[in-house]
Amino acid sequence: MRTRGAVLIANIITGLALGYTVSNIGFGDYAELNRMFTFQDLRMFFAFAGAVGIIVVVFAFLRVRRTPGRIHAGVVPGAVMFGSGWAISGGCPAIPIVQVSSGYLPAFATIGGVMAGIWLCRWGNARFFHLDRGSCGL
Amino acid sequence: MSDYWPWWAGAIGLALVTINYTLTTDRSFGVSAAWDRVLHWRAERRIERLEDQFTDQRALAEALTAATQQFDDRPVAPASHPPARSDAPASGQQIGQPAVGSAPVASHRPAPLVTQAALLLSILVGGWIAAVTSGRFELRADMGQGFREIVTGNPTTMIGVLFLGGVLVGFGTRLAGGCSSGHGLSGCGRLRPVSLLATAVFFGTAVLVSLLLWKVI
Repeated sequence: MRTRGAVLIANIITGLALGYTVSNIGFGDYAELNRMFTFQDLRMFFAFAGAVGIIVVVFAFLRVRRTPGRIHAGVVPGAVMFGSGWAISGGCPAIPIVQVSSGYLPAFATIGGVMAGIWLCRWGNARFFHLDRGSCGL
Repeated sequence: MSDYWPWWAGAIGLALVTINYTLTTDRSFGVSAAWDRVLHWRAERRIERLEDQFTDQRALAEALTAATQQFDDRPVAPASHPPARSDAPASGQQIGQPAVGSAPVASHRPAPLVTQAALLLSILVGGWIAAVTSGRFELRADMGQGFREIVTGNPTTMIGVLFLGGVLVGFGTRLAGGCSSGHGLSGCGRLRPVSLLATAVFFGTAVLVSLLLWKVI
């Protein structure tokens, strides 16, 4: 089940499930997100950490391949930028989409910013950084 | 009391999404990479066409090799491997990584471009279904009371802050090679050191900035 059609169906199901789940957890709600990051309410943190725990156990049980990730020069500065942006705007790359679908129209500005940032990163990397950043999203 | 899911239901939901995607596609799952590929669709499409062309040539070479072996039992050199993507460093795509462990056969090619676009659109539809069925859907020109109290209530400043935050998210996730789904769920789920480091740093930074916004600013 690795044909183009199968991957397309898997992506559609994954997108629907991810949007539904993320919205119902509350990641699209800026106030909930801020309460998680300031330790006022750890419900969403436990949801995320619990998911990672389940995935670790299931992947280990099923012996899912472990791709060797290389720690490169872009990891820490990139993660600092991402964390700052997430705390300020309330959006990681999937969340602004969920915010728009929940009716938060200003989240279009976040989506515009995400697109500009991604474009800038590829442009800047090709010209200045020349980092082989790898990607976990393939 | 919020009407959101309890933590354990959210954990099961996020885990099922990630596990299902990994097992059905044999690929890691990440939204920032999908954004990156869709935004650069011209370059990505060109690469896909080249890879398709090469796959056809390799299939032809393998068929010829197999046919030759029927008439000659001498060992034949295997077909060459596909060339590395010429824009790998610039695009952040990682291919051809050897599998570690005895897992399912690894897919060395990235997911087709159209499937990445479908992923982003499906997130929109899934989020909309959740918002409508839970009664949370409401068209509004602000980001809610929380954003108004913690960040800003000025509409112009709000748009600027959201855009700036989005730029940091977009640039940062691609520089780090992943986001909360790619590094956080898929990568940490595989215990990849780079993902564990990235997740610790972006969560830690988000905590610090949120505390600053909440307590100081």
